[in-house]
Amino acid sequence: MTESKLLSSCQTAMDLARKHGADQVEVFGQNARSITSNAEKNDLQISKSQQETRLGIRALIGTQVGFASTNDLSKLEDAAADAVTLAKASPGDPNNILPEPVEAEPVKGLYDPAAASFGTEDAVKQTIRMLELAESIDKRINVGEAEFSAEILDRVLINSAGAERTEQSSLFTYTILTTAVDGEKVSNMDYKFGASRSVSGIDVDSITRRSCANAVGSLGAEAGESFKGQVVLDPYAVLSLLYLLPFQLNARNVLRGMSRWKDALGEAVASSSFSLVDDGRIPGDVGTSSFDREGVPHQRLPLIENGVLRSFMHNTYTAHAFGTANTGHAAGAAGSLPAIGPTNLAVVPGTVGKDDLIAEVDHGLLVSRFSGNANPVSGDFSGVAKAAYLIRNGKIDRPVSGTLVAGNVFDALKSLSGISKETEKVLVYSYPYLRFEDVSVTAG
Amino acid sequence: MQKLLEQIVAGASGWIELRYQARSTKRITMRNGQLEESSSALLAGLGVRALVDGVFGFASTTDVSNKGILAAIEAAQAAARTSAASKKERVAGLAKANMATGTFKVNTDDPLDAHTLEEKLALVVKLDERIRSASNQIVSSTASYGEIQDEKIIVTTDGASAHVFDSKPDLRVMAVANKNGDQTLGMETSGVTGGWADLLGIVDPEVLADKAVQLAIDQLSADHPTGGNSVVILDPGLVGILCHEAIGHTVEADIVLGGAITADKIGKVVGSELVTLCDSGATEHGPFAVGTLPVDDEGVLTKRSVLIENGVLRSFLHNRETAAHYGVEPAGNARAYVYSDDPIIRMRNTYIEPGETPLEEMIGDIKDGYYLSDLGLSGQADSNAEFMFGVKEAHRIVDGKIGELVRGATISGNAFEVLQSIDAVGNDFRWEHGAGVCGKGQAAKVDAGGPHLRCTLTIGGRQE
Repeated sequence: MTESKLLSSCQTAMDLARKHGADQVEVFGQNARSITSNAEKNDLQISKSQQETRLGIRALIGTQVGFASTNDLSKLEDAAADAVTLAKASPGDPNNILPEPVEAEPVKGLYDPAAASFGTEDAVKQTIRMLELAESIDKRINVGEAEFSAEILDRVLINSAGAERTEQSSLFTYTILTTAVDGEKVSNMDYKFGASRSVSGIDVDSITRRSCANAVGSLGAEAGESFKGQVVLDPYAVLSLLYLLPFQLNARNVLRGMSRWKDALGEAVASSSFSLVDDGRIPGDVGTSSFDREGVPHQRLPLIENGVLRSFMHNTYTAHAFGTANTGHAAGAAGSLPAIGPTNLAVVPGTVGKDDLIAEVDHGLLVSRFSGNANPVSGDFSGVAKAAYLIRNGKIDRPVSGTLVAGNVFDALKSLSGISKETEKVLVYSYPYLRFEDVSVTAG
Repeated sequence: MQKLLEQIVAGASGWIELRYQARSTKRITMRNGQLEESSSALLAGLGVRALVDGVFGFASTTDVSNKGILAAIEAAQAAARTSAASKKERVAGLAKANMATGTFKVNTDDPLDAHTLEEKLALVVKLDERIRSASNQIVSSTASYGEIQDEKIIVTTDGASAHVFDSKPDLRVMAVANKNGDQTLGMETSGVTGGWADLLGIVDPEVLADKAVQLAIDQLSADHPTGGNSVVILDPGLVGILCHEAIGHTVEADIVLGGAITADKIGKVVGSELVTLCDSGATEHGPFAVGTLPVDDEGVLTKRSVLIENGVLRSFLHNRETAAHYGVEPAGNARAYVYSDDPIIRMRNTYIEPGETPLEEMIGDIKDGYYLSDLGLSGQADSNAEFMFGVKEAHRIVDGKIGELVRGATISGNAFEVLQSIDAVGNDFRWEHGAGVCGKGQAAKVDAGGPHLRCTLTIGGRQE
């Protein structure tokens, strides 16, 4: 389906919802074509291709709202009628409003025309490349899982307030999970992620090499040591701990009283060296698009500046409820009502190299992956440091296994003592190495 | 649509499986008197699986015109072909199976579409209000209704041509109680394969709401249990969780082939001789079980599989590929959640057969133990059958009588050791009738259940 046909289907759906009695209507349409090639245990698994067109209709009658979605264009009238019926039956809420149209420049670098001719065979080749490269690097490597996906996505947003936005994007993502096995010795599992908007930017070699190096490097790990002290987290371990930040910064969770930071705007919530920014307009980045799920342009939004909480992420509903500006963080796809979520979320990098962060540690732990839980409300975390290394006198001493780490994310953010200049992009998150103080480390 | 699919399959080269699915879903959720969600979805599409040179390829599309279907078949075959040169493990063949033909309807006198959205919303509003007004200790209420209705047409080049209908509604209620900053949660769900009256008939929704309120409030004054090994009675809900999560997944043939504890245990004693454990597409011992399924997504007529018979492991759960590998007949365990999912090995209704001991007799013999009901919020189990489950409601048993409620209980152990420790199997039976889904890369609506059981396992005292 072409972008113009998707747009006209959205317009038809809007007209139908009005015909059935909606005062205001928003229609979000998407057309996705994707190819996935997957491998498990060093062997190719089933390859898949998918094509789906889906429309989501939000109908308002006064302050009552109803939502219906369909991927069956012959059922647009049924879906429109469902949305209106649900609105009529539902209690009103004054925050149910549509955003006023705002003009914004399109973002560059989202679509590569070469993606149109990228086929299943090309995707399978990339997966085979990961398997073969891993095998050639070291015979001891096991590829537990490798996956390559290619997607072309058309998005259309229209509403009865006059908004009309369309955008086409291409995205290639690839992941690898490896372990190394040497006789009786089994390394920890290592996970790496990579992404590109363009065919020429695809680079599965880099993640494969780094994953293999980490897996082999953690071979021969033995029991660690118990202490309370400094822990350096690599960007993947940072991702596991800081995944609870978007929850705290989601204005809907603030509204529900569930965010730890609900009363902390303008207050220090982290070390003064810590800044967190969300920017949905970085050209060609994984989380980039010109407009959010409600058609509102994304922006660069400082959330935490020098440790001080500056803003929450809002969509139209929460912005109205708080009487504040909409930050363009309506998230989600055509299958559900607009939610709230980050675009490209980044911890602002520091000025020191990661090796310098480690060099300043007398006795500590470097953690490459964290497997455990962090409670989004209390911030308490506990789990196993996977692929961890003991640091002695400023140097990596030896790999350790089964080491438990525990602490509190909110306390750790305040006791943060170092941020590296190197960062890594994992999914939509860009994180540096972080060094925390006073973390409980227990030998397993 | 069925005619079109049959014509296309008749003209296809090689093995092809076409699965058209039209799904209608609704979800209405009220939280603290405010509407959280009112949504509906109408989804239709086609999934194609092709087998070329011993390699599967899969494609899906929402374009179900003749042209769109042919393009999807070509994409699935291309996906298989491009992998064929490099694939190491190949499909040796597909097991002969009882392929389904004809139409399969849902067993109900009261279809969901005979009831308006307003009626469904009114029920949710009423339950939310009932929870909030039940006590001034209740600080948060949630009530939610959801339904999934499916129409599937499955046509294969080796004999299936089935038109299958399904209908699975559910209710969820939640109450949060608070006393001096101490918050406790009461949650209840119900679900069926069936219609509106069947859902409301399984448990009266008001009783469901009242149970959630009572559980939240009672926990405010409950103590934590004493940790350690204990004789316990598991209620049918928890028996079902043990059957599904801790045992069932370890006998899924794809998991077995990936390395599970059961791999070399066929024909061996894995539990007490009182235990016979089954998985079935039908709804034995009680109607409307959630996982009821007449035909699976490979077009195979479902049968009951006896996995453990009088304590001896008899069978794994199979799709046509693994059934051929093991040389057995498939029982219809290949399932796909939506049209864009490929069929994988799943459970349906998993249960332990009732025995002969009345519940009172089982409890009467216990001097010091626990009566444990249903799964709490947390739970996990591994392919080595090690499990840890949160218990929703736990009561002490003292001198043969059910006593006080305790809170935050967990149970853990190895599921097969627990099966070995069973010394009494109840003469009753109940399905869990839950509202959740089982996740294995894709969702599946399943059910589980059984009689009450008496066994020994480890109780965890506190749960953070």
